[in-house]
Amino acid sequence: MTTLRIRGGRLYDPINHIDGEQRDIGVRDGRIVALDPREPVTQEIDASGCIVMAGGIDMHSHIGGGKMNLARLLLPEDHRSHFAPAPLSGNPLELPSCGTCIPGTLATGYRYAEMGYTAAFEPAMVAGNARHAHMEMGDVPILDHGAYVMLGNDELFLRLLHQNAGAEALRDYVGYVVHATKAMGVKVVNPGGISAFKFNQRKLNVDENHVHWNVTPRQIVGALSRALTELGLAHPLHIHASNLGAAGNIASTLETIAALDGLPGHLTHVQFHAYGTEGPKKFSSAALQLAEAVNTNKNVSIDVGQILFGQTVTASGDTMRQFANHELGSPRKWIGADIECDAGCGVVPFKYREQSYVNALQWSIGLEIFLAVNDPWRVVLTTDHPNGAPFTSYPHLIRLLMDKGFRDEQLAKLHPDVATQSALKDMKRELTLYEIAVMTRAGPAKLLGLKDRGQLGVGAAADITVYREQADAEAMFTAPNWVLKDGVPVVRDGRVIATPVGGTHYATPGFDANVERLIEANTEPHMRAHHRYGVIGDDELCSCCNGGRLLPAACFPKSV
Amino acid sequence: MTVSVAPQAAAWTCPFCSLLCEGTSADASASGLGGDCPRARAALMAHTRRPAIVGALVDGQPAPRDAALAAAATRLAAWRQPLFGGLGTDIAGARALYRLAARTEAICDPADGATLMHGVRAVQDRGQYIATLGELRSRADLIVCIGTNGVARYPEFLRRLGLGEPGSPCRELVFVGVDGPSSGPAGVAVRRIAASGDVFADVQQLAALVAAQRLREPDPALVALAAQLHAARYAVLVWEGATLPAEGALVVEALNRIVGTLNKTTRAATFGLGGNDGAFSVNQAFTWLAGLPLRTRVSAQGLVHEPRLFDAQRLLDERAVDGLLWISSFSPERVPPATTLPRIVLGPPAMAAALQDADALRGCVFIPVATPGLNAAGHLFRTDGPVVLPVFALRDDGLPGVAAVLTQLCDLLGATP
Repeated sequence: MTTLRIRGGRLYDPINHIDGEQRDIGVRDGRIVALDPREPVTQEIDASGCIVMAGGIDMHSHIGGGKMNLARLLLPEDHRSHFAPAPLSGNPLELPSCGTCIPGTLATGYRYAEMGYTAAFEPAMVAGNARHAHMEMGDVPILDHGAYVMLGNDELFLRLLHQNAGAEALRDYVGYVVHATKAMGVKVVNPGGISAFKFNQRKLNVDENHVHWNVTPRQIVGALSRALTELGLAHPLHIHASNLGAAGNIASTLETIAALDGLPGHLTHVQFHAYGTEGPKKFSSAALQLAEAVNTNKNVSIDVGQILFGQTVTASGDTMRQFANHELGSPRKWIGADIECDAGCGVVPFKYREQSYVNALQWSIGLEIFLAVNDPWRVVLTTDHPNGAPFTSYPHLIRLLMDKGFRDEQLAKLHPDVATQSALKDMKRELTLYEIAVMTRAGPAKLLGLKDRGQLGVGAAADITVYREQADAEAMFTAPNWVLKDGVPVVRDGRVIATPVGGTHYATPGFDANVERLIEANTEPHMRAHHRYGVIGDDELCSCCNGGRLLPAACFPKSV
Repeated sequence: MTVSVAPQAAAWTCPFCSLLCEGTSADASASGLGGDCPRARAALMAHTRRPAIVGALVDGQPAPRDAALAAAATRLAAWRQPLFGGLGTDIAGARALYRLAARTEAICDPADGATLMHGVRAVQDRGQYIATLGELRSRADLIVCIGTNGVARYPEFLRRLGLGEPGSPCRELVFVGVDGPSSGPAGVAVRRIAASGDVFADVQQLAALVAAQRLREPDPALVALAAQLHAARYAVLVWEGATLPAEGALVVEALNRIVGTLNKTTRAATFGLGGNDGAFSVNQAFTWLAGLPLRTRVSAQGLVHEPRLFDAQRLLDERAVDGLLWISSFSPERVPPATTLPRIVLGPPAMAAALQDADALRGCVFIPVATPGLNAAGHLFRTDGPVVLPVFALRDDGLPGVAAVLTQLCDLLGATP
C-alpha cells in the first residue's frame, strides 16, 4: 500500500473554506486521508512555495462525439504545421496525437492533465451518437468524463409537449433517454430551433411557435427543467439559449431565465447570449444586464464561454444558428447535419481577430460577465472549448481575470472603439486564487453534484494539483509541478508521467418502466421500423469507455 | 472484448454492409440467415463455402497460435516501413490497430481507401451538409441518386428509407446517369435522367442550374430537376463512393455545393453510401485518436496524412513499403493484393483456403480471427455517420477478435522500438 504526503503547500479549497492556509495532505488508496505528521510515507511531495488545489473540472468542453470528429475531418490544417507534420511532445509515454483547436482525444487528455485538470464534461451528446461520444471520451486519457444528452429538439419530446402529454410522461421519457445514453445531465440547445430548422424555419424567439409542433422555446425550457427537477438529477437543465450570436439576444436570454419560473437552470456560454443593439454598429455589450439577472435569480448558474483571439472552430448542435453564421467562418468551409429526428450539428471554423469590432467586444463581454457576477459559485470558467478558444488558453484567461494591469494592456490592443468604450476598462476587480479555485474546481463540482471531487477534504478523491506559486498567473497555471489523479501522480513538472484510463460519470434516474410503450405509441407508424438507439448497458458502457471506472450518480427526485 | 452471444437470434444486426440492418431474419440454424438481402446471404455463405482452418499458418504450414504470433511479431519488427491494409475490423480492433501502428510507424490505408477518400477529401476542402437515415425516412420528399442505383451494393437501401410505406413523405425517386429499379415502391414515381453520362459534367451543370446561372443549351431534364429541387421541402442527394471515378471528390463537392445553394431557401442534404467492412469505423477511430483520418502514417516523429500518396496499391507497386499487415475480419474472400512482399494476414478461418487458391501462403503468417456480428460482439459505424451500433455474436467459435491479436502483437514487440 502506498501512502503519499504533499507537504507544506498553501491550500485553496473553497468547499472546506480553506483560503491559502499552509497544510499537508495525505493520500492513500486514491483518497485523501488524515495522516499523522510523523507517519512514514512511500512518497513525499515537497509543496513548499506551491499552492495546492483540487484537480480542475471543466463542466463544458466539447471533448468527444460526432461533431468533434467532423471538426477534425474538416480541419486537417489544425493537425499539420503547414506542409510539415504537427510537432508532437516527444514524450515517449504519449501516443501520437495532435491538433490545437480540435486535438485528437489522446492529446486532449494529455494537455488537460498538464494544466492540472482531472475531469471534463462533453455538453452536447446526440442520443443516437451516444456510443460514439462515450468511445471518444474513453479515449481521452487520464480525465474523468461524462456527457449531457441533448433533448428538446427531438421529435418525440416535441410531440409529447404538443399533445399536452403531461409532466409525468415527459419526466419518464427524459429519464429513459438519460438512462439509455448513460448521460450525466441534459442540455437543451436553441430550444426547438434545431428541429424547426429541419422544417425550414430560420428564427425562433422564446415565445414564437415551432412551425410544425406549435410549441415555444419557453414551454420547452419550462417542461425540461421541471422534468429534471422531478427526476432529481444533480445537474440542472443545461441551457444553450435561443438566438446564439445574434445582436440583441439579451432579450431571449432574460426571457429564458424567466421561462425557468424559479426552477434551477444552468445557462451555458452566456457570452454568446449577452448582446445588445446599441451604438452605431447596432451591436453592444449586455454583460451588465445579464450579470444583474444572474445576481438576482439565485436559481441560475452560468458558464461564460470566453473568446480569445486566434484560430478555432465552433462546433454546436445549433444548426439554425450555425447556418446563419457559416458565411462568417474562416476558412470558408463548414459542416451541418440533421440527425435521426433527434438533433443536429454545425461545425464552422472561426478566427477571432483583435481588430474586429465584434470579436473585440465579445472578448470584453465575456470578461465583464466574469467580473460583474457577485457569486463565483454560480460562474464557471470556460471557453466553451473549442468554440470561444481551445481549453489550452485557460491559463491566459485566468491571468486576464486576476491581473487588472495585464487586462488593460490586452484591451489597449483591440479595436479602438472597444478599447475606449468598453465597461471593462473601469472594472477594477481582480479575482483571487480562492475565487479561481471556486470557478474551476469547487463550483463545477457542486453544480454537477460531485460530492467527493473539486475539494481537498478527508475522504475526497485524490485529484490534486500542485502549482509553483508565481506572480504571473498564466505561467503558474500552465505547468503544474504535480498532478495526481485518484492518488496516482500523472503529471510532473508539466509533463505527463502516467496515463490511466479515466472514469465515466452518469446519472441513474428512476422512471416508469412502461416508457418504451409510450415511445412506441408516439412514434409515427412509418418511423417504427427505423431503429431508435438502444439502451447502453453497464458492460457496454465499460467497453465503449475503454474499461474505465463507472461512476454512477444517484438522483434525488423532488416534486414541483 | 468478450464474446457475448445475442440473447435471441432476432436481435441480429447484419455487419456485412454499412446499412447495419437490425432485426433482419436471423435464424442461425437455417438458410434463412440474412433474410431477403442477397448481400447478407452471400457474405454469410462465404464463411462456410470453403473449408475453414481454425489454426494459424506460417508460410502455409500449420502452426500453434503462439508460434504464429511470435513469427508475426519478429517479421513485423524487421520491417522498416510497414503498411497496414484492409483494416476490416470494428472499433475495438481500430483502437488496438492504432497502438500497433504507432509502435511500428505504419502507414494505414483501408481496402477501399480510394473510395473512402472521395468523401474525406470533399469534406476537407469544403465541408458538407448531411442527413441520416432517420431524417430521410421522416422528411425527404425528393430523393435523387447520382451515379448510383443504391441497391447494387446496398440491397436494403430503399427499404431502409421506408419508401412506399404509409406515412413516407417521398413521392419521387430520381436516378441521374444510372438505371434505377424498373419500378419503385407503391406510390413512388421512379424517373431516370440519362444526362451526358459524364458525372463531373452533369453535377456541375446541375449545380449551375440550381444556382440559377444561365447556361447555353442546358439539358432540359436537369433544368426540370433543378426546379424540382428548389420546390422540394427536403431534398436529398444520394451518392456512393464506390461508383465514383478517380477524383470523385469533385463530384461530392459539387453535390455539397448544390445542397448549400438549396439551403438558402429550402432544405436539403446529401447522403453518402460507403464505409463497408469497417472502413468508416476505423476511419472515425483514427480521426479521434490521432486528429487525422486514414491514409496517415502514425509515428512519434509526427503524423503524416497523405490522402493521395498513401494509397496501399501504389505503395506496394512502388515498393515504398517492405511488409503488409492485412486485416479482413468480415470477408474471407478479401485476400491481400497480390505482392511478393512479406505479409501478416488476419482473416476469418475460411480465408486460409482463399489464400491458398491465390497462391499467397508463401511469405505469409495467417492468423484466423473472429468476425464482428457473426462470432464476436463489437461496434460499427453506420453509413450515415453519427450512428454507432452494437453488433452481436450469433455463436462463439472460440476465435480471438482482431483487437486481441493486435494487442498481443503489440505486447510481443515491447514498449519501445
